[in-house]
Amino acid sequence: MSAADLSRIQGALAPWLTGSRLASDTRLDMETPAENLLAAVTAFRGLAWGYLSAITGLDGLGPAAGPSASEAAPGGAPAQGSASQHGTLGSIEVLYQFCQGPCLATLRVRVPRDRAEVPSISGAVPSAVLFERELSEMLGVHVTGLPGGKRQFLPDDWPPNVFPLRKDFLVESAAPVADSAPSVGSGEAPGTFIVPIGPQHPALKEPGHFEFAVDGEIITGASIRLGYVHRGIEKAAEDRSWVQGLYLVERICGICSHIHATAYALGVEALAGMTIPPRGQAIRTLLCELERIHSHLLWLGVAAHEAGFDTLFMFSWRDRETVMDLLEQLTGNRVNYAANLIGGVKYEIDAPAADAIRRGMDYLEGRARHYLKIVTTDESFLRRTRGVGTISREMSERFGTVGPTARASGVPTDLRAAAPYAAYGQFPVTPVVDQRCDQEARFVVRVRELSECFRVVREILDRLPPGDLSIPAPRKVAEGEAVSRVEAPRGELFYYLRSTGGVKPDRVKVRTPSLCNWAAVVNVVIGQKLADVPVILAGIDPCFSCNDRSLTLRRRGKTGAGGVETWSWEDLRTYGIRWYGGGRS
Amino acid sequence: MNVVLALVALLLFPGVLFLVTASLAYEYVDRKLVARFQNRVGPRWFQPLADFIKLLVKEEIVPDGVNRGLFNGLPLAALAGALTAGLYVPMAGLAPSWGFRGDLVATVYLLMMMTLCIGLAGANTQDRFSLVGAVRALTQLFSYEAPFLLALLGPAIAAGSWRIAEVNGWAREHPWMILTQPLGFIVALIGLMGKLELPPFDAPEAETEIVSGALTEYSGRGLAFFRLGRDIELLIGLTLISAFYLGGLGSPLQFLGKTLALLFVTAALQSLFARLRIDQTVGLWWRTGAVLALVQLLVLIALRMIGVSL
Amino acid sequence: MLNDVVVSMFRRPFTELYPYRVKPAPDRLRGKLLWDESKCDGCKLCVRDCPARAIEVEVIDRAANRYAYHYHLDRCIYCAQCVVSCPHHALSMSRTLYHLASTDKASFVEVYRAAGAGTCQEEEPIP
Repeated sequence: MSAADLSRIQGALAPWLTGSRLASDTRLDMETPAENLLAAVTAFRGLAWGYLSAITGLDGLGPAAGPSASEAAPGGAPAQGSASQHGTLGSIEVLYQFCQGPCLATLRVRVPRDRAEVPSISGAVPSAVLFERELSEMLGVHVTGLPGGKRQFLPDDWPPNVFPLRKDFLVESAAPVADSAPSVGSGEAPGTFIVPIGPQHPALKEPGHFEFAVDGEIITGASIRLGYVHRGIEKAAEDRSWVQGLYLVERICGICSHIHATAYALGVEALAGMTIPPRGQAIRTLLCELERIHSHLLWLGVAAHEAGFDTLFMFSWRDRETVMDLLEQLTGNRVNYAANLIGGVKYEIDAPAADAIRRGMDYLEGRARHYLKIVTTDESFLRRTRGVGTISREMSERFGTVGPTARASGVPTDLRAAAPYAAYGQFPVTPVVDQRCDQEARFVVRVRELSECFRVVREILDRLPPGDLSIPAPRKVAEGEAVSRVEAPRGELFYYLRSTGGVKPDRVKVRTPSLCNWAAVVNVVIGQKLADVPVILAGIDPCFSCNDRSLTLRRRGKTGAGGVETWSWEDLRTYGIRWYGGGRS
Repeated sequence: MNVVLALVALLLFPGVLFLVTASLAYEYVDRKLVARFQNRVGPRWFQPLADFIKLLVKEEIVPDGVNRGLFNGLPLAALAGALTAGLYVPMAGLAPSWGFRGDLVATVYLLMMMTLCIGLAGANTQDRFSLVGAVRALTQLFSYEAPFLLALLGPAIAAGSWRIAEVNGWAREHPWMILTQPLGFIVALIGLMGKLELPPFDAPEAETEIVSGALTEYSGRGLAFFRLGRDIELLIGLTLISAFYLGGLGSPLQFLGKTLALLFVTAALQSLFARLRIDQTVGLWWRTGAVLALVQLLVLIALRMIGVSL
Repeated sequence: MLNDVVVSMFRRPFTELYPYRVKPAPDRLRGKLLWDESKCDGCKLCVRDCPARAIEVEVIDRAANRYAYHYHLDRCIYCAQCVVSCPHHALSMSRTLYHLASTDKASFVEVYRAAGAGTCQEEEPIP
């Protein structure tokens, strides 16, 4: 499939490109000037190939002249390719990265820093909106025609024309600006009843802000505002060595910490041309699957809590303790396992540990069957989930949803199967797909994925390859670019790493799965009842922490302007619960 | 009844002191049971008291734009209503301190005051969600109250009296009405849970300790009184239903046994279901609950007419 | 659900009664960092690789291989990268010393001094 497809793309887009090359049979690199971008993207979409996985912005200012043309595939050797002029001093590059299975097609646009402007591609690719918003806020690339004018990632009082991800950014220049207009406000006509939720949520794990315009019970408009837990991790990674960065990205998220570290490690290892010993790779994969079990059980409890089913919440979190204890036994910590090294893993799995894991899997398998029964047969539960929040397959593909959210809409996307990384080649995974597209399907997909995880874990334990756990990593990593895409519990996690041959990365770009899923949520709630919103929002398994990691946050966002009501998340949740089980006005 | 006895009744037993202490104890038992059902430890015995004291010492924040008199007075009114209702039920298995013909209706009305006050309190604050929460609370009031009253009416008709003490006495001498009027019992129990806004009917109050909805703006003393009022209502509600349906309350031992058994069932219902199977909300509850109660009443009346005494 | 709830009534609560009953920590627990001065040669690889800049190595006498090891408990993220980075296996993470919370900031800087022989901090006996 790959090479032929990529050649086809190369040919079809040729009229608008200024250069293109097949870096490997899974990598296509194309350049286009900004004025041709929209036409190129539209033609690309016409080929019905792949989806937009990320938009990465790079600042060309740096010690070296920019990366060489070779892009490395994770787990494989760096590809051959002719050198070309990249990243001349003073220009900003924007990479539009489209993926299909293991293949990656990148459209590069180079723009001068003093006049950085690209057209918005959100007309052709609706899922691009949040990516372009991030690009414009962080790198100061003006995206013409970008719908919506609110800030998403930077705080409201961030000074204008200060772009954090540029290489010449100075922290001192980011002093808060007083009296800045809050970016909350969905721009609805006056007289519309706005129900804003957040950002202070006593009961919500992470702050975020949603605004719903409601007409009675039905939602007529929705908008989101992220950025409240922005910590500047991408920028921070540029100031840390490669090995230090490993622990930094691990802390992007608590529930998907290991997968972040894995993606980063895979990328660095690809750049450095390292081949990880199979045992290390297998243990890494085992921990990924254990983490997935942990994440799905956690989500089950949280989603049940959102729907008012507290007993299920308590029981699923009790069962989650089993896998957390296992992880603590294996790695020394329940969260942030720090199991990865650049070059492998730290921790061995010996026979007693393997037995403990097997016992845990046996216990959890029984529980997972029990939960599947509850989720598919409990009438009260089904009333909250069946037919609620339906994201059709077409809508899912249009908005670029990923992970279990997409799989519940019949889109068979699972990177562990489509583009196996780490040890998934030796321990294949069968994606769990459901065609029903509604909230119930999302529950079913995740619970059934648990069973798949148990199977893979047992298989890895049965056939754990002998050998070393890790190989030593170089201090300086060879020049180049690497993309590693992995399947986090929430969906496709995209890492782009660029090295200029030094001890620190030149660019670390993280595109988390939740960012892709927000667009779908904001669109699917329209027409739904307000009472269904908590469950729909919980259905995509949102991880705010994963989204907000590009900037040093000076000040948290403020609540909405006066005259606009604020519900806490708890309010919305109890609203939904009462709607279904109690009274309704 | 002379003044001293009256004061004792008002302040000590079954007045303020006893009601407050007992209701805190019952809250403890309820929370402990729910926790054990969820495989958790649950609070220690003094937790509800500690919560109450903690709330009392917290700063009371009065939001802008409210009617201060109402804001401060409604919790007191709610508490007063709940406390007063305790005077008419056979608390601790002893005869009610006061009674008069028709005090059943008066007691139910006094119990209703709590929810009315919550509704008013929510409507009073300028927080739009409090308003919505208040509307919800009042709507829920209308849905559960009528069937609840009808369900309590059943035993009253069987006993031939509107006086709680007499119904209690009648129930003690006759077979337990849970057996002879099962529908009424179910409606009464579920109605009580709805009135108290217990899960699965958790209306303005969330299962966690975070209050939202009508009571969002309340803190400190006001919140303490509302919560205490709710606990007292739990106690009184359980007393009423056990007195009517579980064969009357004749002694403190019977009181403890029967009310705690009922509390056990309530706690189990709280943890077993996220929501009861009520597909349509108010409409269906009106249909199902009220119809059940009415059917029960009709059966009762019909049987009485043909001379069968139940 | 009914099954779960009924069975729960007869089972001990799942909650761990910490701190009244403290379960022993797993073997690999990454507690406080311990430094074996007899193995350290002052290469400072741990300092370089620490993501949190929690380690400083003070040279007292390089010829005699005597150092003072400054360890910031509050900066440390307990990742054990230093343990891996050290080529002489001079570092380990304690299995028992993890009750490190304190209201006294000064206690967060541990200076291991090469006072003579052996480690500077005794592990608590494993219960």
